[in-house]
Amino acid sequence: MSKSIEQGIIEIIADIAGVEPGDIKTETNFAKDLEIDSIKAIEITVAIEKKFKVSVRDEDVPNILNLRQAVELVTTLVEKKG
Amino acid sequence: MNGSDGDRQYDVVIIGAGIGGLVCGCLLAKAGMKVLIMEQHHSAGGYCSSFKRGSIVFDSAAHCFGGYRREGFTRRVFDELQLEKKIAISRFDPSDIVRTPGYTISYRGELKDTLREFESAFPGEGKNIADFFHFLLSPEPHAFARIRSWTFKRLLDEFFRNEHLKAVLAIPLLGNGGLPPSRMSAFIGSKMFSEFLLDGGYYPNDRMQALPDALIERFREFGGEVHFSSPIASITIKNGAATGVVAGNGQAIASRCVVSNCDARQTFLCLLPPAAVPAVFREHLETMIPSSSNFIAYLGIDPQRVSIPRAGTSLWFLSHYDLDLAYKRARENDIDGFGGHLVRVSPDRMSVLAIIPAAFRDIRYWQEHKSRFLDRFIERIEHDTLPGLRNGIIYKDAASPQTLFRYTRNYQGASYGWAGMPSQLADPDMSKPSFLGGLYLTGHWTTLGVGVSGVVYSGWETARRLLKREKYIS
Repeated sequence: MSKSIEQGIIEIIADIAGVEPGDIKTETNFAKDLEIDSIKAIEITVAIEKKFKVSVRDEDVPNILNLRQAVELVTTLVEKKG
Repeated sequence: MNGSDGDRQYDVVIIGAGIGGLVCGCLLAKAGMKVLIMEQHHSAGGYCSSFKRGSIVFDSAAHCFGGYRREGFTRRVFDELQLEKKIAISRFDPSDIVRTPGYTISYRGELKDTLREFESAFPGEGKNIADFFHFLLSPEPHAFARIRSWTFKRLLDEFFRNEHLKAVLAIPLLGNGGLPPSRMSAFIGSKMFSEFLLDGGYYPNDRMQALPDALIERFREFGGEVHFSSPIASITIKNGAATGVVAGNGQAIASRCVVSNCDARQTFLCLLPPAAVPAVFREHLETMIPSSSNFIAYLGIDPQRVSIPRAGTSLWFLSHYDLDLAYKRARENDIDGFGGHLVRVSPDRMSVLAIIPAAFRDIRYWQEHKSRFLDRFIERIEHDTLPGLRNGIIYKDAASPQTLFRYTRNYQGASYGWAGMPSQLADPDMSKPSFLGGLYLTGHWTTLGVGVSGVVYSGWETARRLLKREKYIS
């Protein structure tokens, strides 16, 4: 499950940040390494919500600093959804 | 370029020469791409343009821009394009003056001076205002990501208690974004506030047209090609990807990518073949709400006969503090109920640009109402902002939402793309649809930013993304 979540998130970030999927590692920092600014962070969040049909709380958005954190959050949300 | 017209080949075709399309085109051409811009109008700029009547120059809609402070984003992009070689950019101080029956606040060149204005008008809220400005100008991106679903009202409520202060702060946003704080996204409102108000009032040469014209010059110097009076009939799709365009005259133009700087509905519903747009996305488009339009008065004046307070400064007036009511009245095209306006006397003191939010109606409606609407609008401006105006008018004309639609093809004459509500913020399909390869959108319909500084960002972002993406694909 979380492998396909990871793949889905990588695709979204690669597309919006304009990088190759292979460039996104578990600890790649979105802001520093991928130049993701606040509006891009919001765009990625909206794309994740659409793709996984989940709702990310506002207060969680600033805590998604790298791929690992994004996968953890989305996995929890998907599991909660049942 | 060689061969017949049908063999034309570009890396990128950009539909529309608005500021977003021009910035994107310049950056792509500068990076070595072969770029063609196709513009339906006979000149560049979209809402950021000017026209001449006799010897008087009028800005069409945009009348200044922001984000040009030393570390500002607009400055960064213009520096990258070495635009200072082409235009001299000056700043008006104050950039904006907001007036209500009880308060007059000037937005000054120095932030501390603006702060002092607010502190003296609202003594109990001094620290809150300083905190608010600090938040807006804070470079910490996550602070903004956190407020993505907030309204601007909620943000104001977090910082302030005084309802008059909240209204005074939000009046220019109602004018610049077409929404009251209760409906406007906190993110969009914050960006408008920091880029338009705290760092606004910049002006290129003697008219706004100088900005798109300078970008066109740079674009050509970078090797770009631009065709005016050249509408697009359709975007060509092959194997799920955009592979060029067909011009209005039937000419097929092939390209690796297409960037649309035109209206989003037009892009998805008119230019793309129906089969290329999923039904669910079409339904989504139908539910999206465009931003409000404006009624714009263009008045040529005899400066000897009109009391001109400050040329070059945007003068905002609202006769009350109920912005929800003002919004409601604007949607009914009720000038008196709205109770306000934006007035700007041109730097050469020869003309007045006056703007009020207005609702889109059909041609018949405006044929019937335009002249009376304009006259009533002028009366209100004379009463509230420019005493003696009517005696000094030597030329008058106006653009209704219908006129704005006709010139720019923005849906319903929308002034700022999609309405900047939290639910319409940062929709990824509006900047690069996930269901189509090779197609990018840029400009104020991308839901990423509005105004000149917003579309400069959008144009830069589209170019950055396209260059990175296409590098991997090719």
